[in-house]
Amino acid sequence: MTAPSQHLTEEERQTLADGTMDPARSGTAAAHTRVCVDCATDIARIRMLMARTRDASAPPEALDELWPAIRSRLDARKVVSIAAGVPDAAPVVPRRTRHAFRAGLLGAAAAAAAVVITFLPIRERNRAGDDAGGRQRQDKTPPFVAVVDSARSYEAEARSLLDRLELQRAVIRPEAARLLERDLRSVDVAIAELKDAIARDPNNPTLRQLLASSYRQKIDLLRRAGNAG
Amino acid sequence: MRVDWRTLALLLVVAAAEARGQSSADGPVLGARALRQGASLKIWVDGGRLRLIAWDRDSILVRGHAGRGERFVFGGDSNGMKFGTEARAGNGPIGRSEIAAWIPRRSTVSVKSVAAAVESAGVSGWFYSVSGAIHLSGRATSIEAESMNGSLDLDVSTPWLRARTGDGRLLLRGAPEDVDVSTISGTLDVTATTVRRGQFGSVSGDIRYAGSPVAGGIVEFSSHSGNVELILPSDASAEFALTSISGSIENGVTRAQPIAASPRSLRLMLGRGGSQVTVRTFKGAIRLRVR
Repeated sequence: MTAPSQHLTEEERQTLADGTMDPARSGTAAAHTRVCVDCATDIARIRMLMARTRDASAPPEALDELWPAIRSRLDARKVVSIAAGVPDAAPVVPRRTRHAFRAGLLGAAAAAAAVVITFLPIRERNRAGDDAGGRQRQDKTPPFVAVVDSARSYEAEARSLLDRLELQRAVIRPEAARLLERDLRSVDVAIAELKDAIARDPNNPTLRQLLASSYRQKIDLLRRAGNAG
Repeated sequence: MRVDWRTLALLLVVAAAEARGQSSADGPVLGARALRQGASLKIWVDGGRLRLIAWDRDSILVRGHAGRGERFVFGGDSNGMKFGTEARAGNGPIGRSEIAAWIPRRSTVSVKSVAAAVESAGVSGWFYSVSGAIHLSGRATSIEAESMNGSLDLDVSTPWLRARTGDGRLLLRGAPEDVDVSTISGTLDVTATTVRRGQFGSVSGDIRYAGSPVAGGIVEFSSHSGNVELILPSDASAEFALTSISGSIENGVTRAQPIAASPRSLRLMLGRGGSQVTVRTFKGAIRLRVR
């Protein structure tokens, strides 16, 4: 406890204000506030602030609207459905959020990852030439597992790009946003069809090349939209 | 008598400009100053029309007029400049400006537009428009052109070119060498025959290539649901790998020697080969025919 001639410490003011001070000390501290205007005023200010905080209404609606997007992003980061032995496995992104635009941004994280996932092994294969008969080449396909770790680091980099794009969303012109949503739908349909085909024919190099190409299109599209602000 | 050197310089620039084939018909002079070769320029025009012309002088001259409700801004120094139009107040409708600028040939520009038609001749750099058409021509050190849905007409001679658009048409001609171009749903037409490394892609737009691959060239065409059509001269020489997951493959080149074939892929050799052409589609048709 400070001497009577000294002001109360910050900790003493805080605990006196919220009533958590040790009863053995609170009597002396309270006596100090009766003779020290500064400390008394400060404690009164702290109490008023605490009362306001308690009485504060619920967060405005806009914050509520933000939560689904935040939750979706957290979920997207948590879910990594890379099944053993399934070459096409990529981080699962929710199929469609309420907001097509936001969904597009989220999807691009998976896009970047899938570009790496699909493109790296393909590059290797491509040196030996392209081939529609993916099934015939199953035994030659490099193991997918080798690029998963690399995909994660690329994915993290993509997320920072997504965060930046999401911040820019408010300044993107409405007509550009409409164009973006329409084009994103086109690309998303293509990606969905390719994923479906890859699920049936996992080692087809052509499907993987096409999927990589579609993901690149999506990332390019989001970047272009970022310039529309 | 005191000489106002800035006025004198402006008069000299304007006089030189008159001698270079442009005049007051392009509008009043909005700005002029000395600018070193290789300077960087940032240009912003919302709507209307922007023309950029490279010239062999160490100065910049801008003519034209700003659209209604807009003003012309012009600033910087001899190493780099920024000019364009901006709204006088608020977010009103996009004005229709008419801007023509003559800039040093080796300048690098960064052009941004919302709806303005952008034209340039002999200018290198980055060109972006949300919905305006972009037409680039002449010789450039590098070109990057992007639009959300504007059409791109790229008739340039450049070692490096990259272009993207949504549903606008993308036309590539001229003499580019390293090329990466794509659309989402717009048609992609390629008549350039100097491409050494090329990637041509679309999600749902058709791709048409009319030309002969250069010796040693590696070119890839990729489309999800659009058709890819290759129209070749009778003396074309290349090795083709054509693959479609569920689309048809039509070989209209009778002299082509099939190397390998399966229901969904076809490998062909034309002439001595010498260049590699790969085509992949998911459900778009692939057509190969002779011009």
